[in-house]
Amino acid sequence: MTRPPLASLKTSMLLLLAAVLMAAAGIFWSHQQDTEARAALQAQQTALHAAHARQEQGRTEARLIAQHIDAYHALIARGFVGEENRLAWIEAVHLANRDARLYGLTYTLSPRTVAPATLAGGLPLKQTRMVVKMPLLVETDLPRFLDALRARTPGVFRVSRCRLARITDTPPQPVNRPELDAECELLWFTVAADGKEAK
Amino acid sequence: MFSHRLILLATPRQIGVLDWRPGRMHWLGEFAADTAGLAAFRQIVVKHAQLPMLLVADTVDEDYRSEILPHVQGHARAELLARKLKQVFRNARFTGAWRQTRETAGRRDDRYLLAAFTDADWLTPWLSVLHRERVPLSGITPLAMACQQLLSKLRAQEPHTLLACRLNNSLRLSYYHNGLLRFSRLIGSDTPTQLPGNVADEIAKTQLYLAGQRILPREARLHVLLLDPSGQLDSAQAPLNADPAFSARLIDMPSLARALRIPDDFLAATPEVAPLAAIAGEAVQLNLAPPELLQRHTEFRWRRSLNLAAGITAAIGLTLTATYWLHAQDLRDQALQIQSEVQRGDARHAAIVRNFPALATRPDQLGLTLALATQLNRAPLDVNALLIPLGQALSAHPEVVVKALTLQDTADGTADITLEARLSDFDGNYRAAMSRIDRFVARLAATPGVASVERLTSPVDTASTATLTGKTTGENAPEETRFSLSLQVRT
Repeated sequence: MTRPPLASLKTSMLLLLAAVLMAAAGIFWSHQQDTEARAALQAQQTALHAAHARQEQGRTEARLIAQHIDAYHALIARGFVGEENRLAWIEAVHLANRDARLYGLTYTLSPRTVAPATLAGGLPLKQTRMVVKMPLLVETDLPRFLDALRARTPGVFRVSRCRLARITDTPPQPVNRPELDAECELLWFTVAADGKEAK
Repeated sequence: MFSHRLILLATPRQIGVLDWRPGRMHWLGEFAADTAGLAAFRQIVVKHAQLPMLLVADTVDEDYRSEILPHVQGHARAELLARKLKQVFRNARFTGAWRQTRETAGRRDDRYLLAAFTDADWLTPWLSVLHRERVPLSGITPLAMACQQLLSKLRAQEPHTLLACRLNNSLRLSYYHNGLLRFSRLIGSDTPTQLPGNVADEIAKTQLYLAGQRILPREARLHVLLLDPSGQLDSAQAPLNADPAFSARLIDMPSLARALRIPDDFLAATPEVAPLAAIAGEAVQLNLAPPELLQRHTEFRWRRSLNLAAGITAAIGLTLTATYWLHAQDLRDQALQIQSEVQRGDARHAAIVRNFPALATRPDQLGLTLALATQLNRAPLDVNALLIPLGQALSAHPEVVVKALTLQDTADGTADITLEARLSDFDGNYRAAMSRIDRFVARLAATPGVASVERLTSPVDTASTATLTGKTTGENAPEETRFSLSLQVRT
């Protein structure tokens, strides 16, 4: 086909150019719309998965709460959850000493510290060191005192270390006089909480 | 839409106009070659100036030559044909060449049909109208070429066919070899062809001429097709069939209408549309129009191609745009549905959480807290349990006097016991004292629950790395037998 003068085809060429530009613009715009819609859908699907996960977590938590709430309240009442209850502990060692019919004791409570992570298991577990010193008649007074303390105290504690030392080097005498010095290091545990209920 | 065109049938006396598109045609009328006819024709042309037009000329002043030329292509062919047309038809304005076939033997030359209107002055007024109105003229072709398409539509298979066609009171005789035009002549209305015998004579004379010119082989039997809407050629069939050189057949109007797919009554009213309808949808093979007359049509084709490209581009763009947009809308609808589902899920979660009691910790830590409390409540350092095996060992060794006892929780399932003691009596025999301590250690090590026993200090440190001091004055004190042990006891 012989090529005619371009001037005579100006309108048609402009028409073609306009069609190409409009088609390209339309395709570009609609493709953008499609991409944005795809991204929005993806975001909503992610949100849906998150909502399902939250819902499932809520159900699980509801089950956990229903299962453990009473025992947890009991722990709060015992003073294991929340602030430390030093008065109760002092009363407990005093009463335990009396229950074991011992001769009094001295105690030292250290500031509360963070418990070892291996023991805490991810919980905000704190520990308060209490050193108890008391005279004993015989060695078996010590386990009796500790058993009495366990029976008396509402809190949770562990015996970390105990030392028994003879006061005099004389042989045991058949009199009611303490011949042993006991020094025990107790660790009182509490789980820190920031909820109202624990305070 | 793209095949819509006007087909003009021009004779020296008049011009007829057929408005044609696939499956539909309309005869716009005939216009005499006078001032009024030209004016009316101009009006028709103005009305359809945007349509391409093909002019089919029916004139006695035409000439056909068959030529065998070397096979060349491209520009060389154009130059060769231009030279040949100039040589054969000299100064004729309307000339053309059609490469019909290629020889199968020898140099395999090309066979051309050269044609020209030797006197076409009568065409000038019509062409002037077309030129003035800037009509895209697609070509000028002789009526015999239109008749060739007519034969094709009629499926005439014979190798040597002579079509006798009577239109506009003129008889046209066209010879086709294997369906391709080789020769045509028009016998005007002033010739007495009304008599059947004369028509048969004209056909016989034509046959003799064709044989004489070696266009038709002498021994070939000529198949004559008689086409005459007025029926005047019917009586020529018998005399022709009486001659063994001919076999004649009439083409009836219904068969023709069926072949051309046009209504019977339309064909009966305007029989001259038959060859025009046959060529209307076909490409022009033999175009006698000089290039300057085809300029508008070239522009028209370019313009139409560009417009078509624009239309296709726009359609593709629109389709893709619509597809993407609809898909985007569908995705948005899905996103909205999911969003409402998310909101419903959040509302359900909020309803669950709303009923939670106020807790000092996360719900998932409740169980952990309880487990930790249980674990801590189990006393790893059971003093009573630790003292029992120690007491048993001490009972077996009353000479050992305990000075101090330290119990230490190691938090790995064992407890450390540090025992500081001395022997109750000592006679200065360190060997005997060490032996008693060894027995006590052995007894402790054999006690159930004791994992290991280690001696920390002894009355006498006999290690070669240590500094050892003492005296042998004879004064012996039990304090000199102090020793300390470290025990690991399983809790």
